[in-house]
Amino acid sequence: MFANDSGLLQGTLELLVLKTLSWGPMHGYGIASWIESATGDVLRVEEGSLYPALYRMTRKGWIKGEWGVSDNNRRAKFYRLTAEGKRQYRDQTSGWRRFSGAVSQAIATTSAPSWAR
Amino acid sequence: MRDPIPSKRGKRLVDPEPRAEVDDELTFHIEQRIRDYIARGMDPVDARAAALERLGDLSGVRDECTELLAAERRAAAHRDWLGDLRQDLRFGIRGAARAPLFSLLAILTLALGIGANTAIFGVVKSVLLDALPYADADRVVRLYGRLVDGTSDRAPLSAGTVADIAARQRSFSGIAAFRGLPYNLAYLGEDGPRVVTTVDVEPALFSILGVRPALGRTLSDADTAAGAPAVVMLTHSTWERLFASDPSVIGRAVRIDGVSRTVTGVLPRGFIGPLGEAGFYLPLELRSALSDPVRIRGRHWLGAVARLEPGVAVDAAQREASALAADLARQYPEDNGRFGVTVMPVRDALIGSTRTPLLVLMGSAGLVLLIACANLAGALLSRAISRRKEFVIRVALGAGRGRLIRQLLTESIVLALTGGAAGFLLAGLGLSVVRTLALPALPDHAELSLDAGAMLFTMLLALCTGLAFGVAPALSVSRADPQGALRDESRGMSEGRRSRRSRGVLVAGQIALCVSLLAGAGLLARSLWAIVDAPLGFTPERVLGVAVQLPPGDYATGQSRVRFMKDLEARVRALPGVVAVASTSDVPMRVMNRVGFTIVGAPPLPNDASPFVLYTGVSDDYFRTLGIALLSGRTFAADTRPREQPGVIVSESMARRYWPDGKAIGSRIRMGPDPASPWTPEVVGIVADVRNDPARAEPEPQLYVSNREDPWGGSAFVIRTRVDPNSLIDPVRRELAAIDPRLPIDDASSLSAMLSERLVGRRLPVVLMTAFGTLALLLASVGVYAMFAAMAAAREHEFSVRLALGSSRRGIAALVLRQGGVWMALGLAGGAVGVVIVTRALRGLLYGVSQFDPVALGIAVMTLLVCGTVALLIPVRRATRVDPMTVLR
Repeated sequence: MFANDSGLLQGTLELLVLKTLSWGPMHGYGIASWIESATGDVLRVEEGSLYPALYRMTRKGWIKGEWGVSDNNRRAKFYRLTAEGKRQYRDQTSGWRRFSGAVSQAIATTSAPSWAR
Repeated sequence: MRDPIPSKRGKRLVDPEPRAEVDDELTFHIEQRIRDYIARGMDPVDARAAALERLGDLSGVRDECTELLAAERRAAAHRDWLGDLRQDLRFGIRGAARAPLFSLLAILTLALGIGANTAIFGVVKSVLLDALPYADADRVVRLYGRLVDGTSDRAPLSAGTVADIAARQRSFSGIAAFRGLPYNLAYLGEDGPRVVTTVDVEPALFSILGVRPALGRTLSDADTAAGAPAVVMLTHSTWERLFASDPSVIGRAVRIDGVSRTVTGVLPRGFIGPLGEAGFYLPLELRSALSDPVRIRGRHWLGAVARLEPGVAVDAAQREASALAADLARQYPEDNGRFGVTVMPVRDALIGSTRTPLLVLMGSAGLVLLIACANLAGALLSRAISRRKEFVIRVALGAGRGRLIRQLLTESIVLALTGGAAGFLLAGLGLSVVRTLALPALPDHAELSLDAGAMLFTMLLALCTGLAFGVAPALSVSRADPQGALRDESRGMSEGRRSRRSRGVLVAGQIALCVSLLAGAGLLARSLWAIVDAPLGFTPERVLGVAVQLPPGDYATGQSRVRFMKDLEARVRALPGVVAVASTSDVPMRVMNRVGFTIVGAPPLPNDASPFVLYTGVSDDYFRTLGIALLSGRTFAADTRPREQPGVIVSESMARRYWPDGKAIGSRIRMGPDPASPWTPEVVGIVADVRNDPARAEPEPQLYVSNREDPWGGSAFVIRTRVDPNSLIDPVRRELAAIDPRLPIDDASSLSAMLSERLVGRRLPVVLMTAFGTLALLLASVGVYAMFAAMAAAREHEFSVRLALGSSRRGIAALVLRQGGVWMALGLAGGAVGVVIVTRALRGLLYGVSQFDPVALGIAVMTLLVCGTVALLIPVRRATRVDPMTVLR
């Protein structure tokens, strides 16, 4: 469902980037690949919004970009979490859990409301 | 592989650096994607197309990212700068706290330098720069008569001259005359009689100055018409003081000198007339003077102001006025032959003679600041040298040189600003001292205060100083070669030739500045001494001077005035404590009347046709009371035979000047401008010169008449006492009230107090310049000592080596002495140049001493030699006590 429209909500994309980087520094391509594989290719990252999101997060001081060398020996810009980014990651993860739990609970409910009886 | 990102056409909107970085990142991404697709078995061309398609709007992403990155960069640069600044400040303050003696000295030195400058600038600004209370004041000029023999540039004008110039000129849009001297009137208020200073002006004066009344209307031409009701205009302070700021004062009738006058208006607050502060302005009409054949040109009694026509410069107006004056001189050689006309901007006219002393003081304060800066530059240089190792290590560890220089600058600016703030406090203190000291000597429009301008000036000075003395050490560090310096430092080499030389230059400069300043102070002090020391001509101690205002309405006849003066003299003489009493038209030092005269029977003097001399009417006892010596002939003794004219008495310098053959006594003179005047009294005596202006060393010629013969001048009394003269003010006031309770007393003061007040203007530059000189000497001594000490300390290793190699201690001492002596000699040589400049600036202020007075210059040089030698001997002593073994180890 997400794959077809631009779909992935801004906040969700940022949370997924934070999650990716919580494993360690990674470049933009790696971030996109990891998100796709981690979601079982359900979520396809819109690349056109990934990079602006990365720059915005840099501006907010959550992540920091540094030039390094990739696995195949190419120059690449690696991002890593800052202290502020780590805090954001924790806050947003628990927020998301509460949110998605609440939505799941609501849609899993089997007893009809009183007005539907 | 070809660049996967097509370059965008058109102008680049952001700087290439963020764009290049974004391009690199995106290129990497696309390459990875292509590589990935190929790995999955896609054809390379298709893979490329798919990768690009996957990314979507490439140029849009690129622009968005570039913009975001650029914004981030700017923010980061700002953060870094602030962070660095914070670090620099922390370092600076920590460093300052680590060297408290140095910091205290630096801040104090600066505070003194900046404080002196701000205080003097406060004075200079209020006198020379502040706006005058006139509309477009730059266009207002003052007209003066000018005596072609050069004796006066600021003489009064005759009514005819003013009228003729007004009729013929094209430079001015308006001219208004006023009585050239303010005079006193008795105002009968509700709480008793008061004396109020009054100026008579032509009504056009107010429109020429562009002054609008605060209340009512200004004077108008109708007020000068024959039979017009008598009117008066009040100044704001008079309105406040005597009329309690009553808004309904307009139209009220007030009694001034026995005449009832209607108040037409109140002048605005802060208005200062061309004659300074006054209480009343009365309308002046010139018609009667213009219709009197003698008074029209023979009496010079007017001042005038004019407004320049748009586009006319002062110079052009002066040329026209000179041409007109020359025409008048040809037309009326008798009266106008000796007169030119001066056109002067009104500010110059108001400032008068205070400009030169103020500029001299400003210059002195500037010299003090220069010395303070040199001092600090030297101190910071020494500190930077002793900290060189620290800096070198920091450079070696990767600190940028720019960063290092910035830190040094921050340190100096922190010191400078702290010093500036302290200086500002000192300036406030200094200005209040100047205020009590100087106010009588400054023009009336000066309101001494430290204001925003002065504040700005200090802060600017503080910052420039910080930059100036931050630069020298910073430059010396940036030149440092880390490897060499580290090696030198560990081996303990002497300091480099360059830094030794810059210290030497600072020493020489300080000495030169200090010598100039001390020489100037010395010359001024010697002039003041010459003036104070010159005989005054009378004994001012224990004499009370009192002026009484006689309303002409109530004392209309000469007899009534003579009777009044005799009465009061007799009553005062009977008071306990009184030794002698005399009456006079003006208290000595306050004579303003001058009279023209010709010697009967003598050929007219060329160019000096009718000389003007000070003119005083005195009673019989005047000379005895004041202790003025009679040199020959007689005084106006009471035993003058009846019916005989009492004659006149001339001062010594008048006798010498106009009767060079020594035959003054017995000769007759004709008084006044009228060549047919019947009043031709005989010269009966010669008395010692009295200096009417105690600020001048040379006495002015003076002529005395008996005030029984001319009682029309002022009525003042001089009372010699056995007790404190001020204790007699109240008894005299009681005696006066017993004669006529409506008469106010004016200006009761001991002659000694008047004398010291008159000398304020001359004493002030001396006091201040001496203070500056002392300050400079103190600063320079400390600075020179510190630099000699540092120079010697920097060579301690070298001295030890020399000693170890067999050099004698005497030789070491000679080495240090020679090094310091050379710079001191250079400083004194530079001081000689400074002295020439200073004496040129002071030329107009010197009296009775030569510009190159050996005493003043000798004392200045000797003082510095002594201070410099002491400053040098301490390091010499230390250098000779160096223990080679401890230093070398």
